[in-house]
This record gives sequence, structure tokens and C-alpha cells, in this order.
Amino acid sequence: MKKKSLKFVVLSVIIMLLAACTQQATPEPAAEQPAAEQPAAEQPAVEQPAAETLDPNRELNIIAVQHAECSWDSFWCTVQAGIEQSAKDNNVNVTILAPDEFDLDKTASLIEQAVAANPDAIMLTVTDSVLFKEPIMKAINAGIPVIAYNSGNGPIVDDIPYYTYLGQDEYQGGYLGGMRLIADGGTRGVCINQQVGHAGLDKRCKGFVDALTEKGIEAEVLAITDDPAESTTIISDYYAANPTTDIFMTLGPNGANPFYVFLENEGLSGVKHGTFDLSPEINANITSGVTMFGIDQQPFLQGYGGITTLAMIVRYGILPALPVTATGPGFVDAAMLASTPDPEAAVKVIAVQHAECSWDSFWCVVQNGINTAAANMNVDVDILAPDEFDLDKTASLIEQAVAANPDAIMLTVTDSVLFKEPIMKAINAGIPVIAYNSGNGPIVDDIPYYTYLGQDEYQGGYLGGMRLIADGGTRGVCINQQVGHAGLDKRCKGFVDALTEKGIEAEVLAITDDPAESTTIISDYYAANPTTDIFMTLGPNGANPFYVFLENEGLSGVKHGTFDLSPEINANIASGVTMFGIDQQPFLQGYGGIQALNLLVRYGVVPALPVTPTGPGFVTLDNLSVVETLAGEYR
Amino acid sequence: MKKNNTYSAILRHFANSPIAGPLLTFVLVFIIFLIFVPNFASWRTISGIITAVSISGFVSMGITILMIAGEFDLSVAPMIAMSGYLFGTISTGADSVIVNTLLKMGLPVEGGNLGLAIFAALLAPSIMGSINGLLLVFTRIPSFIVTLGTRQIYRGVVWIVAGGVLFQTIETLPLYDVFNGRIDIINKLPFLKGANFRSAMFWMVGVAILFQFILVRTRFGNHIFAVGGGEGAANAQGVRVNRTKVMAYILNGLLAGMAGIISFSQFKSVRVAEQAGIELTAIAASVVGGALLTGGYGSVWGAIIGILIINMLRSGVILLKVPFISADNFPAVVGVTIIAAVIINNYLRNRSTS
Repeated sequence: MKKKSLKFVVLSVIIMLLAACTQQATPEPAAEQPAAEQPAAEQPAVEQPAAETLDPNRELNIIAVQHAECSWDSFWCTVQAGIEQSAKDNNVNVTILAPDEFDLDKTASLIEQAVAANPDAIMLTVTDSVLFKEPIMKAINAGIPVIAYNSGNGPIVDDIPYYTYLGQDEYQGGYLGGMRLIADGGTRGVCINQQVGHAGLDKRCKGFVDALTEKGIEAEVLAITDDPAESTTIISDYYAANPTTDIFMTLGPNGANPFYVFLENEGLSGVKHGTFDLSPEINANITSGVTMFGIDQQPFLQGYGGITTLAMIVRYGILPALPVTATGPGFVDAAMLASTPDPEAAVKVIAVQHAECSWDSFWCVVQNGINTAAANMNVDVDILAPDEFDLDKTASLIEQAVAANPDAIMLTVTDSVLFKEPIMKAINAGIPVIAYNSGNGPIVDDIPYYTYLGQDEYQGGYLGGMRLIADGGTRGVCINQQVGHAGLDKRCKGFVDALTEKGIEAEVLAITDDPAESTTIISDYYAANPTTDIFMTLGPNGANPFYVFLENEGLSGVKHGTFDLSPEINANIASGVTMFGIDQQPFLQGYGGIQALNLLVRYGVVPALPVTPTGPGFVTLDNLSVVETLAGEYR
Repeated sequence: MKKNNTYSAILRHFANSPIAGPLLTFVLVFIIFLIFVPNFASWRTISGIITAVSISGFVSMGITILMIAGEFDLSVAPMIAMSGYLFGTISTGADSVIVNTLLKMGLPVEGGNLGLAIFAALLAPSIMGSINGLLLVFTRIPSFIVTLGTRQIYRGVVWIVAGGVLFQTIETLPLYDVFNGRIDIINKLPFLKGANFRSAMFWMVGVAILFQFILVRTRFGNHIFAVGGGEGAANAQGVRVNRTKVMAYILNGLLAGMAGIISFSQFKSVRVAEQAGIELTAIAASVVGGALLTGGYGSVWGAIIGILIINMLRSGVILLKVPFISADNFPAVVGVTIIAAVIINNYLRNRSTS
């Protein structure tokens, strides 16, 4: 046996030497090397100026332009308080511009005035998307980042390419409200709409009806009028005709008011009621237990989140994930009404995660986000993590965190079955919990934590697809290296949906773990479908064979976008081959986690959605140098 | 009359050879595809199939040798990944767990060390193969169970060695072109429009010739067939069964290491789950290529033909654009044809032996 093994070693050495010899004997490829190295040599040159202009911690000047103001509309005092608090926390100088009475022309000219002052960023209310488009475009063309808050419909609907709109997600308000109302079951639901035909109110009702229908509960919309007496009769008649109705949703004080009169008239109790908005009457009914919740659009968060979002964009190139960033629905229940905001409270947060910076560099960025936010917001934070990947140990660290009784806990829901018990201990002890980086949201994970901060995979595919076909296209393909993987399938579904919506044919192509085979598969697919000009890959493992395919075919001029970044993807973004890489923005997972808990504990502001998307964050030629400069620390 | 006799003798000899069935299937499918599948008759398609085979072919050869010896190995994928990580990191000297560890050990890997890269990339999988073999002969646990276990273990080891991260470089070393670079002298020939031939195919053919020689012309080769044909009989003939089996596992590891080098040279990228599932494709290729799961029968050329058939089928199905088979569901068709190919093989073998 020894002799044979020796033979084997000799054999391998021979092969090795053979290889080394052939290498020396082939001078040709060597000549190629310097040429191919050039992009690498160029990189520092690109990074240098970017690094100089980009001091992440410098003070920023932001201008906020809004159509109303605290001095003459008290609603705005809350928004402005949010803006000012966030400016203080994020080390930002902020100037608020507003007309001294409701005047849209004047507001438009204030936007122009803001652009002329050349600030680092602008946030504004898009009260009239037609009138404001021109001044907003001036800002965007001048390279000033713009976001909208409180009033607007998002960049797509408004047809103005600002980054995002911070406001209530009406549909989700109805949907999540409906889900809350039927948590303990129900037989029949009704959404009482005081203004059928109003887009925002109709969306609320649609969400409510969808939620109930999804759970097999009959639901419909009941139209009432501006006359409260008439409305009371309508509700009463409806109830007489449908006596099994036990779930009621109203869309604001104007609907809740006749509803309460109806309850009193009928002497009815034990039905479930939820409503949008708050009023003294609604608050009293929440406190007395008649009404389960009031849905708040959380104006404080519109101001606070606006400043944070802009600081992220300017400082770190971290972009808002979605065209609409939901500040509501914020569910206000009896417990919430009983507590009073205490901005000065000392806040202690424990973060429990399944990995750590010291042994997995990805987590350095997340932890930097946590620590930066904690320092900015004066939150005391402890990070707990096992010293190697060990889910049982992580679960026991959660128990340890609960035992320390902090003001809030953030954690990675790496295993929703294993972690459920320790997380429930925290929730039962009244400690607010949110998830970050790993998880699927409270509904899918079946654990009632507040929200999960991570990438929205479907939207990544959808918005990526929309970007790729912005200039048209004939046929798209989503190259999936693991068909059947829920997250990857969602990405492809989003992509295919986006293209199909615009009338462009699209499908999913399955590749394998073998890059050579995958290259051939892509190549064969292209030969069979030569009109394909839109390609989406789901990460470095799909992009890698795709680039070889491009090289083999000598193909150029097709559109390519991908999820994730890698040295190869970055190089291809830089050379213009790839339009974008989609980043989950781990810094934001950490920063946003602390911010959400800080706002929850100190200000009673609740995360709006079960999933708070931190990505898709599109990395393009525009922000690639920023991303590369800050890689490992913020990106 | 005499001429006719020679002709039938050659035919008889061919029918008795283990590659008769696979070759017949290959030629049949190839001709049918050439005629009926649009875009199949192109240098693009043909060179694409050959390039893909140039990586999985190494694994198929290794698995075939094991199957002839009556065993197989489910743990090749992490061996390939291990080879890829060692080759990639050491050849570039990139900041990684492997390079940092070797630097601490005082080895000259700063800035890259090509010789050491190749050596380590071939040695590590060979050792992993030898562990499989030793576990098998000492514990007498069936190879299915042994390698099912080591597959998980090796995956874990690779995870540690890799630091859990994808390794990728954008450096272009001439060495990579030696192992798997485009051969543009050939590809640019006017009558080879669209061709993408790469140097890996020469490595694969060379290694195939070497291993066919070892199998058919050396005593060790005879021992492998003997061991697979029946351990008792082999023992009685003085064949050292255990030693032969361990050697077969080492060769399989070495070939997996070669696949790792070839793969990294083209894609400059490796990850922990690299080539996951290739063990089953390789077993399928061996069987399609005429090897028997029961051992003692098969050939290196059969393995190459087998993997060619599988790749050709896949290309054919995608190129055909069958309306009810979507682009994310073609492996199903490949599965059907694998079974069909084996049925043909069995039919021909039974005829030739009866």
C-alpha cells in the first residue's frame, strides 16, 4: 500500500510539473495579462476623489419644504417635531420652509428657493404632482437627492423620479387591520366607507375585504354619506339585513361617529370594531374596549424617517428600498393610549444575532449600523452572538437577553421554530421585539414580533425588472440557480410579473451548481430564444456563468441586472455591462432596527408593516464608487 | 468472403465492448438532434457541450473507476469545492482563511504561489478520497452510507476553510488559461463560426487516455475489475482488495481535484455549495456510459460518452423549446432519457452475452 501511495504522489507531482512547464511554454496568454489588469489598476483612481468628498460623519444641510406649518395647522407640529428630533439625532442642520397660509403656488416657489440654496438634500410634500414637477426636476437635475413626505403617491404614480414617498400604506392599513379584527375568528365583515370613489379610502376597504376573504370570511363595502343621521340609519338597516355581521371597519371619525350611535341604538356589544385615524371619541372607545384600534399614519415618523432616509442616501449611498416607505398603519390600542411618550427616557436594547463581526465580516456592517444608531440616538446597546454558528446557543442567548429585562430586543429569526419559545418569553414579558437580517415577518414566522427588517425579495425582482425595461425590450429571462428556493423564486416572480405587466414576454431559466453546465444552458436558451435582450441573475453564482456566456457569444447591448455584489459584478457595473446589483443594505438593517425600537419605546411610534424592507438597494454606476469606498464598514 | 468475415469479427468485437450501447445511443441521438433540433448543428452548441463536459467529465471518470470496483462516492462535490478554494486562493495569494493560515505556517504564498496551488488542490481531495476508502475498508459500512456521511462532513470542512464566503477573483493569471482558457486560434477559424473551444478539453482527453491505459493495460487496472467482479474471487486470485479500493478512492479524489482546478480556471469563482448534485449526474453518466451499479463492468470512454449524452440531451431539450416544458423544468426530460439509455445498454449487453 505504501508503494502505491508513493506512486500516486509521484504521479501528482508529475502532473503538477507538467502544468508548470506548459505554463512557461505558453507565453501568449501572458501578454494578455497587463491589459486585463487595467480595470483593477484604475479602481483606486476612481475611489480616491469619492473618498475625499464623502466623509460619512460630516454635518449635512437639509431643507424641508411643506405646504403647511405648525403655527397654523397643529397636525404639522408632530411632523416638525419628528424632523427636528431626527436632525438632532443624525447630526443634520435642517431648515423648514412653508407658506404662511395654504398656497400651492407659493409652496412651489419655496421649492425653487430651496434648490437655489444648494443643500445636501431636500424633502418635500408633493401636494400637487403636476404643479411641483418642474421645481422638483430642477433639484434632481442639480444632483440634489429628493424625497417626499406626508403628501404624494410615490415616484412612479407621481411620475417624478424622487427616491421615495414616506406616508401611509392605505391598502396595508385595511389589510392588516382586517387581520387583527379576525384574529379570534368572525362570521361577516363590513367596511363602512363615507366616500366611495375616493382612491385612498377605496384602497383601505379593498385591503380589509381582501384580508377577510383570504380567511374565508364574507366581507363587503357599505357606502354611507356625509349626513351622520342618514349614515346611522344605513348602518342600522344593513345590520338588520345581515344580522351575522360581527366585524366592522370605519375609515375615520366621520364613519366611526355614526357607528357608535348605531351601537348605542341597538344596545349592541361584543362585535369587533377597528377604525382609521384617532379622535377624542375614538380614543375614549379604544380605552373602554369598544374599539380594538385606531390606525394612525404616524406623522412623527414621516418627519423623523424623512431626515434619516436622506442622511443614509447622502452619507452612505444607502437608498430607500421601495417607491413608497410606509409610516403607517400605526396601530394605536388601549395600552398605547395609556402610555405617554418620554423622549428623555433611558433606553437599553439587547441585540441577539446568529453571527458576529469577529468571525463573519458581513456582520461588521450590520453591527456598525447598530452602534452608529445607538450613539446617534443615545441608546444603550449590547450585542450578543455565539462564537461560532450555533442555533441552540443563539436561542439560549435570547433567553439570556430576556432575563436581563431590557427595554427592547432585536434579534435574527434564523430558525422560526427553534426561536419561537424564547421570543415568546420576551413578548409575554412585555418586551418589544423586532427581527433583523434573518426572518420572514411576524405573519409567516408565526411569532407576533413587531416587524422584520430585511430585503423584500419580490420587490427586488419587480423593481429590477422595471429598471431593465425602462427603455423597452423584447424578451426577458430570470436565471435561477436554485428553482424551489422560496426567496429566489420570489425574486424571479417579481421580475416576470414586471415584464408581463408591460407586455414583454418573460420566463424563468433553471441553471445548476455547475458553472460550465450553466453557461451551456444559458447559451442554449439564447440560441433557442435569440430575441432575449433582458437578463436577470440572482447573485454571483448566476452572474458568473452569464458573463462567460456573454464572452463566448461576443454579445453586447443586452440589458443585465443582478442581485448582490461581488468583485466580478462590481467590475461589470463599472464597465457598463451590468446595469445594477441589488444590495440588501445590511447597515440599514442594524441602523433601522435601533431606530425602530427607539421610536417605539420613546415616542410610541410603531413599525407600519410586518416587513420593513432595507432592500432592494440598487447599486449602479452612479453610486458604485461610494459603495466600494464604504465597503466593509457601511456597505 | 474473407473480407466479410473480418467485418463481422470487428462487429462482434464491438458488440462485446462495454461502450457499444452508449456509443450507439450517442450516435443515434446526435444524428436525430442534428436533423430535427434547430440550432443544434452549430459549433456554438457543440463546443458548449464539450466545454461543459470538460469539467463534469473528470468526475464521471472517477466515479466510473469506483463503480467498476463496485463502489461509488457521494462526496465529490465538496472535494471539488475544496480544490477550487485551495487553487483559487493560493494562486492569487488573496486575503482568505487559507492564505492567512499558510502565511502563519511560514509558507511562501504571499502574492500567489502557482506550484503550491496546484499541489494543494490535487492533494487535499486525494486525502479526502483516501479517508472515504479507509473508512469503507475498515468499518465495512457500504460506500453509500460512508460517503453520504463524509459528504456532509466535507461540506462542513470546506465551509470552515472557505470562511463561509464565496471566493472570487478578477485577476487573470496565464495559468488559468493553461488549464481552461479559450483557444482563440481554433475558435477564430472561419469554418468554426461561433465556436468556444477551451483548453480544458485537451486535459480531459489526455487524462482519459491515461486512465483508460491504467484500467486496461496495468495490473492495478485488472485488480479494479477483479475487485468489482467479486471480492471473494479477487481475493482467491491474490488481489489485495482493500488496497485496490482505497487506491480507487484516491484516484477519484484526484480527479475531483482536477475538476476543481479546471472549473476555477474558467470561472474564477468558487463557493461552498460548488457543484452540489454532480455526484448523481456522474453516477448517471457512468450508468448511461455502460457501467454497472453492481461493479466489474464499465469503461473510461463510456463515462465520457455518458456525460456527453446527458449534456447533449439537455441542450436538445432547451433548444427544442417544447411548448409544455418551461425553461425551468427541462431536467425532467433528461431523467426520462437516462432511463431509456440504460434500457438500450442492457438490451445490447444481454444480446452480446447470450
